[in-house]
Amino acid sequence: MDNEIIFETQNLTKQFGALVAVDSVSIKVRKNSLHAIIGPNGAGKTTFFNLLSGNIEPTSGKVIFKGRDITHQPVHKTIHYGIGRSFQITNIFPNLTVFENIRLAAQALGRDNFKFWQPASRFKSYEARTLDVIEKVGLKDRVHTLARTLPHGDQRKLELGMILAPDPEVLLLDEPTAGMASEQVPELIELIQGIQKAGNKTVMLVEHNMNVVMSVSDQITVMHQGKVLAEGTPSEIAANKEVQTAYLGGLYELNV
Amino acid sequence: MKTFFNSNRGAFITLLLLILLPFIIGLFDGASPATVFVNGSGQSKFIQGLAIEIFILAIYAISFDLIFGITGMLSFGHSLFYGVGAYTTGIAMKSFGLPLLPTFGLVLVAAVVQAILFALVLPRVKGITFALVTLGLGSVFHILVMSSEFGPYTGADVGLQGVITPAFISPANERLRFYFVMLAVMVLVYLVYQRFVTSPTGRVCVAIRENEGRARMLGYNTFYFKFVALLLSSFTAALAGFFHTLYQPIVSPNVAGMGFTVTALLIVLIGGVGTLNGAFVGALIYRLLDYGLRRYIGESASFINGAIYVLFVLFVPYGIVGTWRLKSLQMKQGWERLLGCLVDK
Repeated sequence: MDNEIIFETQNLTKQFGALVAVDSVSIKVRKNSLHAIIGPNGAGKTTFFNLLSGNIEPTSGKVIFKGRDITHQPVHKTIHYGIGRSFQITNIFPNLTVFENIRLAAQALGRDNFKFWQPASRFKSYEARTLDVIEKVGLKDRVHTLARTLPHGDQRKLELGMILAPDPEVLLLDEPTAGMASEQVPELIELIQGIQKAGNKTVMLVEHNMNVVMSVSDQITVMHQGKVLAEGTPSEIAANKEVQTAYLGGLYELNV
Repeated sequence: MKTFFNSNRGAFITLLLLILLPFIIGLFDGASPATVFVNGSGQSKFIQGLAIEIFILAIYAISFDLIFGITGMLSFGHSLFYGVGAYTTGIAMKSFGLPLLPTFGLVLVAAVVQAILFALVLPRVKGITFALVTLGLGSVFHILVMSSEFGPYTGADVGLQGVITPAFISPANERLRFYFVMLAVMVLVYLVYQRFVTSPTGRVCVAIRENEGRARMLGYNTFYFKFVALLLSSFTAALAGFFHTLYQPIVSPNVAGMGFTVTALLIVLIGGVGTLNGAFVGALIYRLLDYGLRRYIGESASFINGAIYVLFVLFVPYGIVGTWRLKSLQMKQGWERLLGCLVDK
């Protein structure tokens, strides 16, 4: 973990009518860290992610990535800067195969998107990259399965593969374990940690599973009603009285 | 080369049959092949005519399948693409006396212009709104060609008549040549489309149909891909319109109307949405059914026609080619499972 700041927001605010979903949030994410965002339902975590990835535009405030203001960039630019985003609700191409789902993700950043006179299978580098990623996320036996027929856990892995394929510097993972069977969770978390450690990547994670968050994070931001309630290392957060009452409900026993 | 032949065996056999078709019909007619070559009247000439109409319809329908079945944009103004091609050809040749090639160039320009027109509304409206806006654009064109102000050029509600097709492909005297030209154009369009959907660009178009939001998140500016699809579709439909005017003695304003868009939709539904090949199968069935019913039943034909399509959509929702592919895939998987069981034990 370096001390260099890769991702930063300044007073980021999003209002939906009278509701302030994200209320002047300023955070700094250090390069190569695993930064978790936690908070009770409705705290504005997903909205915050949507602002970071450009899915929605903020009412005010700034998003700065590697010193560059990307607040008002369209969503399809995000990945070109090096920010990959996964979704809480599985968001894939249902009637395409696992291979094609990931191949499309790998192709996106190349310069061959408008070569309509050549078959896609002629671009071997994307295919090699695709197989590489499929192996990494553990879907090797499912290469030619239609995405919609995959079990939920595998769909989550596919989704992860789709954001790994273009090799972004920052991964925004919105509840990657949502809806997964509990015995599959450690496997996925190990995968995410492995990717972060091996590839010099920064991971931002929204997660509800406290054991996961406390064990893997370098830094935690706690959100509550759109605001940042606390920020710190897992042990600092676990010891924080305010966090305990607002979110952990005093029930979480410190075991880090 | 060999694998190319094997994977397209059906297409090659169909092509061979279509090349031989005029002569086979000629033989059944009892006449010598010579009659077929000199375009003598008879059954063969009639069948050639019907086939030419089917080819033109198929080219038109495949262009609709590209934007509806492949890219997932529902356009209700698709007849505009065809109508502009047909009317541009007719007006350029009749009112301005242009030769064939400059006319063709003009049609291509018109195709680009109408694709840009659709592209202007593209980023602003989505889904059903896009369907309605394109319906509006198509209707404007329909009203324009029907209006008496443009009557001297378009023939208003009577239709455009008296376009003289150059003698060397005259549908009356050189029908066999016209037939082969049309067959060649259709094969070319088919090859271009097959290539397009397997290309990186075409794959993104499919991704847009599946989940446009995700395609954008992957880093694709989906507007450009939809525009490319519209452009190719517009070129193809205008090409079909161009040949329509050359073949038909009259360009009826119906080809610019809403009904003709529905024709494309029906053909694609019969054949199978998003299959490309379905456009050819659908066009064949649509035209033959239409012809047969009109001939043997007469006035109430369109009622029965409609009923057949309703039943078709209810019972064969994936269309003919779609169902065929699904079934053959299931058969293949079934065999694999069976063999898998046997090998395990």
